Amino acid sequence: MYDIGMTVFNGLAWAMATFLVAAGLTLIFGILHILNFAHGGFFMIGAYVSYSIMMAFGGSLPLWLYLVGAMASGIVVGLLGWAVDKLVFRRLRDVEDAYSLIATYALLLVCGGAVQLIWGLNYMGVMPPPALNTVVFVGDMFMPTFTIFIILSGIVAYIGLEFFISKTSTGRLIRVVAADPWMAQLLGLNVKKIYLITVIFSFAMAGTAGGLLMPNQSLSPELGGIFLLQAFGVVILGGMGSIRGAFYAALLLGLIESFGTYFFPQYPGIFFLLALAVILLLKPEGIMGKGQTA
Amino acid sequence: MAYKINRRAVVKGMGATGLAMPFLNAATASAQSGPITLGVVTPLSGPAQLIGNFVRHGAEIGADYINANGGVNGREIQLEFRDSKVNPNDASVAARELIGAGANLQLGTISSAVALAMGPLLESEGGVVITSGAGTDKLNHENYNPHVFRVGDSPVSRNAGLVRHIANSRPDIRKWAGIIPDHEYGRTTWKIFEATMRKVIPELTGEEAEIAEPVLVPYGSGDYRNYISQAMRLDVEGIYTSVYGGDAVTLYQQSQPFGLFEKTDVLLDSANEFLVATAMREQTPAHWSGFHWYYEANKGNPLSDDLYSSYVERTGDQYPMGWAAEAHAAIMAYAKAIEKTGNTDTMDVIAALKGLSFDSATGMRHIREEDNQAIKNAELAFIEPSSSEDSGFAVTDYVSLDGEKVVEPARPGKTLDLSTL
Repeated sequence: MYDIGMTVFNGLAWAMATFLVAAGLTLIFGILHILNFAHGGFFMIGAYVSYSIMMAFGGSLPLWLYLVGAMASGIVVGLLGWAVDKLVFRRLRDVEDAYSLIATYALLLVCGGAVQLIWGLNYMGVMPPPALNTVVFVGDMFMPTFTIFIILSGIVAYIGLEFFISKTSTGRLIRVVAADPWMAQLLGLNVKKIYLITVIFSFAMAGTAGGLLMPNQSLSPELGGIFLLQAFGVVILGGMGSIRGAFYAALLLGLIESFGTYFFPQYPGIFFLLALAVILLLKPEGIMGKGQTA
Repeated sequence: MAYKINRRAVVKGMGATGLAMPFLNAATASAQSGPITLGVVTPLSGPAQLIGNFVRHGAEIGADYINANGGVNGREIQLEFRDSKVNPNDASVAARELIGAGANLQLGTISSAVALAMGPLLESEGGVVITSGAGTDKLNHENYNPHVFRVGDSPVSRNAGLVRHIANSRPDIRKWAGIIPDHEYGRTTWKIFEATMRKVIPELTGEEAEIAEPVLVPYGSGDYRNYISQAMRLDVEGIYTSVYGGDAVTLYQQSQPFGLFEKTDVLLDSANEFLVATAMREQTPAHWSGFHWYYEANKGNPLSDDLYSSYVERTGDQYPMGWAAEAHAAIMAYAKAIEKTGNTDTMDVIAALKGLSFDSATGMRHIREEDNQAIKNAELAFIEPSSSEDSGFAVTDYVSLDGEKVVEPARPGKTLDLSTL
């Protein structure tokens, strides 16, 4: 029972950490139809910004300051999103997908270079705030509070996004533009502005995710690539552009990865990829179908 | 069209050759009397640039030291750098280009894959390389190539040294587990650890070592919680790991709330030197780490002192890591070999390197003639968190073990024989 409980717990942690990164990625794809390779790079910048804030306050922060740091990272990366939309994404809207892939991959390299220039090559790391650096015992299961916090953050992010997309007027406008930008423009909607809001919001989510996940994670210019592959897997399986799909896909893949590692420890790290391949063979459009934003 | 060779053409040819001879002789003389150019093929960009920077500084400091002391037979050493990108294809292109430019003597390889690719290439192109930290055991065993030399530790001397030291100092710890990266190097280190521990513990205690199946972890993962949970289920007293670089930092950080390292008495880290400690500072778990070179263990050695002070002066970084000493040692080995043979011809330098004894930042090293593997001291340091240090950690113990006692016997062309450890 202990083993099964810990396996589920670890699977949920994998799932929600990945969903936090994947949410912005799938939103941009759903609205702008750009597969943003640079998303991992901006997640990484968010983590580094949060690290700098944390170190400026002495390294060990109270919970509220850690949360403020993560939000500040979101704002910084959101502003970078504004610049990226003006300089890059606007030029990619009417070109073939291959150009988008090349341009966003180049942006990922720029992010890596910027991190090297500003923060250097050395590995860095910080521990979670003291309030989250404890353990909760449930029976004989021990659950680190930081991991519980990440799981809750993922769930809160999902509920918040669902609410934003379904219930707010901005969210509804985003859905209209995602469904038919040409018709939205005919109806007098400022499509460019909605694109810009989407990009800023998605980048801000990447930055906040970086800030939240930064403790318990080594920081290096390689960080951008570490979560990107998992996030792409979740976005593809969830049905490109679907937030709900990404959430369920993250849960599914996280639990498969966790149970796979538990039952077959001699094959570490392959179950995510194996499950992705098998499910896409059976359901190529993803578990929620293609292009359903929220 | 057929060419006719007549008397007039022969005379013309002889005349032209005669006119050119002084210039040809001058060029040849210059190649053997001007500066000696050594090629350094090492990562200068990408994820491994951090390591490549140590190689670059170590090589430059070594060359400066030689040049400040009169050069090699009066000739200055010059370095020509190329980016390997830790990729065998890119490294091959760079090595070939350097040979074309006259730099047939090379160093700087840190990656096992690149080092293994260099042998056949350099053999066909007429070059030689001294690796600067490549860790595969195949280099001096089944993939042995006379054009590749390793003047640093073999994975056996590093890991067997670590095991022998711990087994001697803590023979009471008999229950061990490993957290091992699931790739060739990780599995190699584990088999060396397991074989040595199974041999040494019964010798010391008369009892068998209890060694659990290793916990295999993927390379480049952001989440090690499943693997930490696996390790937590084991009833062990010591943990050995060869997880490396950023992966090790993430693994160590995520292990802390689980209390994995508090649960066990000893943590052995095969190779991270200061990589984990500089990242985690006061959160660093107390651990023994293997080192290519630990400067405090070599204090008083002029080469070590010069390497350390020059490195700190250049970078401001107080914690140089061993790759700098490996590149530095490669320069010292080339200098001694060229001094001995009097020229830079590949085959002559290979002959001079084989069986060569030379001084280095870790003291005298001897390159075995049979498999091009150096015998050098195995160095280990115990790193603990320390609130009194600005860095947040301190080295509180270190040892330097006689290389002869921890290196495996030479078996070029054959696989590593674990029964000989």
